[in-house]
Amino acid sequence: MNNIAALQDGKAVGDRMSRVDGRLKVTGGAKYSAEYELPGLVHSALVGSTIAKGRITSIDTKAAERAPGVLAVITHLNSPKVPGFAAKSNPDEPPAIGQPLRVFHDEKIYFNDQPVAIVVADTLERARHAARLVKVQYVAEQHQTNFEANKSKGFLPTQAKRNPKSAQNDYTRGQADGYQAAPVKLEAEYVHESEMHNPMELQSIIAHWEAADQLTVYDKVQAVKGTQRAFAKDWGLPEQNVKVIATFVGGAFGNGLHNWPHETAAIIAAKVTGKPVKLMLTREQMFTMVGYRPKTWQRIQMGATKDGKLVGITHESVGQTSTYEEFTESTVQQTRMMYAAPNVSTRYRILGLDVSTPIWMRGPGEATGAFALESAIDEMAHLVGLDPLEFRLRNYTDSDPEKNKPWSTKYLKECFQAGAERIGWSKRQLQPGQLREGDWLIGYGMGVGTFGANRGTAKARAALLADGSVLLQSATTDIGPGTGTAMVQIASDALGLPTDKIRFELGNSLFPQAPSQGGSSTVNTVGSAVNDACLALKKKLQELGGAAFANVQPEQLTLSGGQLGLKANGGPRMSFADLRKANNGQDVEVTTESKPSGDARQNYSMYSFSVHFAEVRVHAMTGEVRVTKMVSCADAGTIVNQKTAGSQMIGGAIGGIGMALHEGAVMDDRFGRYVTKDLADYHVPVHADAPPVEVYFVNKPDPLVDALGTKGIGEIAIIGVAPAITNAIFNATGKRIRELPVTPDKVLLA
Amino acid sequence: MNPFQYVRATKAKAAIDARAGDATSQFIAGGTNLLDLMKRGVMTPQRLIDINKLPFDKIERQSNGLRIGALALNSTTAEDKQVLERAPLLAQALNAGASAQLRNMATVGGNMLQRTRCSYFYDPAMPCNKREPGSGCGALEGYNRMHAIFGFSDKCIAVHPSDMSVALVALDAAVLVSGPKGERRLAFGDLHRLPGDEPQRDTNLEAGELITAVEVPDSPFTKHVHYLKVRERASYAFALVSVAAALSLDGNTIKDARLAMGGVAHKPWRLTEAEKSLIGKPATEATFQEAARVAMQGAKAFKHNQYKLKLAPNAIVQALKNAAAVS
Amino acid sequence: MEHETPPAGCPGHDEARRTFLKQSSLLTALALAPGAVVRAAETEFDEKVAAAFEKVSLKLDVNGVKHKLSVEPRTTLLDLLREQLHLTGTKKGCDYGQCGACTVHVDGKRVNSCLTLAVMQDGKKITTIEGLAEGDKLHPMQEAFIKHDGFQCGYCTPGQIMSAVACIREGHADSEGEIKEYMSGNICRCGAYPNIVAAIQEVKNGGQKV
Repeated sequence: MNNIAALQDGKAVGDRMSRVDGRLKVTGGAKYSAEYELPGLVHSALVGSTIAKGRITSIDTKAAERAPGVLAVITHLNSPKVPGFAAKSNPDEPPAIGQPLRVFHDEKIYFNDQPVAIVVADTLERARHAARLVKVQYVAEQHQTNFEANKSKGFLPTQAKRNPKSAQNDYTRGQADGYQAAPVKLEAEYVHESEMHNPMELQSIIAHWEAADQLTVYDKVQAVKGTQRAFAKDWGLPEQNVKVIATFVGGAFGNGLHNWPHETAAIIAAKVTGKPVKLMLTREQMFTMVGYRPKTWQRIQMGATKDGKLVGITHESVGQTSTYEEFTESTVQQTRMMYAAPNVSTRYRILGLDVSTPIWMRGPGEATGAFALESAIDEMAHLVGLDPLEFRLRNYTDSDPEKNKPWSTKYLKECFQAGAERIGWSKRQLQPGQLREGDWLIGYGMGVGTFGANRGTAKARAALLADGSVLLQSATTDIGPGTGTAMVQIASDALGLPTDKIRFELGNSLFPQAPSQGGSSTVNTVGSAVNDACLALKKKLQELGGAAFANVQPEQLTLSGGQLGLKANGGPRMSFADLRKANNGQDVEVTTESKPSGDARQNYSMYSFSVHFAEVRVHAMTGEVRVTKMVSCADAGTIVNQKTAGSQMIGGAIGGIGMALHEGAVMDDRFGRYVTKDLADYHVPVHADAPPVEVYFVNKPDPLVDALGTKGIGEIAIIGVAPAITNAIFNATGKRIRELPVTPDKVLLA
Repeated sequence: MNPFQYVRATKAKAAIDARAGDATSQFIAGGTNLLDLMKRGVMTPQRLIDINKLPFDKIERQSNGLRIGALALNSTTAEDKQVLERAPLLAQALNAGASAQLRNMATVGGNMLQRTRCSYFYDPAMPCNKREPGSGCGALEGYNRMHAIFGFSDKCIAVHPSDMSVALVALDAAVLVSGPKGERRLAFGDLHRLPGDEPQRDTNLEAGELITAVEVPDSPFTKHVHYLKVRERASYAFALVSVAAALSLDGNTIKDARLAMGGVAHKPWRLTEAEKSLIGKPATEATFQEAARVAMQGAKAFKHNQYKLKLAPNAIVQALKNAAAVS
Repeated sequence: MEHETPPAGCPGHDEARRTFLKQSSLLTALALAPGAVVRAAETEFDEKVAAAFEKVSLKLDVNGVKHKLSVEPRTTLLDLLREQLHLTGTKKGCDYGQCGACTVHVDGKRVNSCLTLAVMQDGKKITTIEGLAEGDKLHPMQEAFIKHDGFQCGYCTPGQIMSAVACIREGHADSEGEIKEYMSGNICRCGAYPNIVAAIQEVKNGGQKV
């Protein structure tokens, strides 16, 4: 139905088309990584270390090996050496940005629950049980996992030391720490615990050596090509000998942007047993083996004039990483460019602890940084007696003060206005603690988010098939935003072909190169490639059409009705069958590569923007917080699909509720081991926590980012949500809680 | 899970004998807690005795109250007409627990025999005297945010996680038990025990004893009742603190009262002295504050659960306020 | 239809020998395998002893298909569905009853299939997401999920839909608040909650048979 409507409107982009893979997802037909049936497939389970630092002195695998159904027990003592592991030195002394953990490489332990053995058995039950029978002895060394105790050891990332142009370096605009000269000053520290991506699908892989030098993995990753390269390098294989399949990814939120030890463990197990090996992590292992948003400490010092003009901001941050990899993210970026402050200083540090390596989690460092910045903005607005929206308007900037460039587009003021109207901002009281209904205190808050409108290079293949449909392929993935749907819509417009005649395939390393799905850049990057491939296909068809089409403008061409023709009535027509005949009976096929324009990127600063408004209720007696309404507004350029894009925004808002109120993994530093490591102890929002979320899109194209005018949604959907909520809590109660998550105990004791 | 033998009992006596003769065996009914613990290697029974076929799932009206079979599902019980009419506090508490799916699996008997959710108990790589006597209490000097403020020992500071049990102890319920030595009846308050030196023992049940039913006596607490559960999200989470409050009012005067707390001790925590302080008083916030003060006497917090010293009395006042309002 | 599904990965399987544990006959079974032997098997890992009672027979009706199966007692209903029957629509999200991705209907009731043993469901009727549509015709809840975009990555979706259908059948879908409370056992990390609630409300208010 949607498809027909789209065609009648003449434009698929902008239509609220239902997902092309919706039917598969609602019927259980969508296959995720652990769900492929392969002949001879066997199961496996990992054994994790129970110390945080030290070395293994012995491993007793006898009981496990003798357990029924067990095919192999692999440890560092008997693991085949991964050729790529030897190339680098000890990860103890990380070169540049370190080296991923080399699973089963040696006896060293770098974090608690580090994989130390994999057990392979004929059934899942037998593998799991036998894994418990592996007995490991250690010599423990004094570990350091306590962030507070070690915070002063934070250091400038090596990449910044080596490259003066790295954005991780210290930054100063105007006077260093120029906030000090202001008449109104504040200083505040903000902290959040490590947050776990916790996608619903447990990280899974089926590793299959189809030949001694041919590896296929069905793997839960966000980058099939990146994974292909990584494993080819590890195993010393030509890239084409490694095939990576990730057709459906059951959520990832960033944790599929890295290749993790469990993947290589499964590949090793498949090598040893000569069988396809399936490995699905347990929920506990999702806390230790596949990254997380790192615990981060931040300090903001801010100065303003009495009439609410920012004089300066100093933003410092220390984020956790492991001892073997230097994970970095853009925690202080928003502070550099969001407000027209003449004096801005930022200092970003990382702290290596005896923990596993973090990885970008939705809205990554920017969401972390926005919590501090947007809270401090709210605090300063309160200090100078201004409505926080008005305070932001007084410090609004129409060009990028960091890069001294114009914005490619910025419609944040429109977002402010639309959001304020929709949340009912006029009900907000300037002084906190004024609104109450029964035992519930009511408050309103806002938070701004921004994320670079990044675009990478990607290729796409477009082919006109014998049945008159067009098949598109690109090696991107879809972790949930609806990539395939958006691509079909883009292609429909580019080709002048109804959406139901177009199929887009992704998640396979055999397809043309595309980057990982991350950084809100898939539509910008892959969408551009699809658009270009479709135009190229049309051009090729035009050529095959011969003289009759020689003088037609390509944009006048359509492919509807099983023929190449003109949008307007009349003119030349040529059936697909004849076009194929002209192509020697072959599918007409093109593969193109699309790159961002260097000039535009040189001359303009490109960002997506968002603002989130929250209405909260705080129980006066119990300290419970309920978000009762949210409005999320985005300046994200052209919206390809209002339905799926709206869902992304809603999802970001709910993720932000989790960040603000629920999420935080707690480690017992005596053991360096998490004590909250399942979905009962580590809370994420449930249905009852989710308020109605109203979404507003400016929906104006940014033609400088890409031809479609898109800017990216996934990250700005969450960036700024947490401070909107904590600011609303302040407005409701007068309590300023600077440590996430804001659980009832913190509200009560504040 | 470790391999185990599975047998299905069709007669209670067979089940009891089997269990009594084999300390490595466990009864299984809903299995929602036992299988969870077995998957993590916290419990490793060698034999499971499935008791689901035993005829203990009826909810019956008796002359002086309700008799709820131990195998009645949590969901069935929460929606049973008799329960809603005569023990609405119990229905509220049941619905505050777990999720709709889990309530469709969990039985009344299993609910009360849930084991603590203490993270140290749940992780075999951590010390825990309840799981492994003598290994130490990980929570005592560790992360004890969810832990007890009453009745703990230096061996264990865990809390009992059941919501249902908090209502049952408030309602003066009794547990019917069948065992190798015959049948007996325990006051609900005597079912669970404090940890003392044997935190591995959650209850006063003897080896092989099987809970067959719970009896909830008729009471005047059918109208002014409230089960308040304070948790970290709006649903599907264990209590930080919960309160079962029941009042019998004559106009605005409290004729009788029941009060119990969850999330504060190794057992559902009945607040008898606080109840006494309410009787004969007007149902006002001041009265409730005084009851809360009495209730909190002897409470002691650890590093991370100091908030409970404030949350618990607040929750008591709030629950009583909610109960007093005409529902 | 009756399917005899061979046990996964067990060559040389001897059905008669291994199913000597008739579930109906408790005491015989106990006599045959006293606890001490079980314990011995556990510590000694004697394959023969362990094998003697490693599998039990089981009859299940799954989505209208009758299966005669042979399973280890420790096999959960979820793992049976996914690994032996290859009905992978039912998802494993936590394996501890904390997320609802594994929700199926057992004799019409929604349950977490991860927290029940397959053998405990002997003789029961199981409905999974694969059994909800009638041939090509989607169940109204499936249609509503597509229409309201009640999912993103799709992994929690089968559990959400099975739970949503039950939520209406139970009579727990009378208001937005009630739906949210009674759906809280199904976690969606993508945050599709408001869309899911809209889908449930539409089906409920549409009065279609669920």
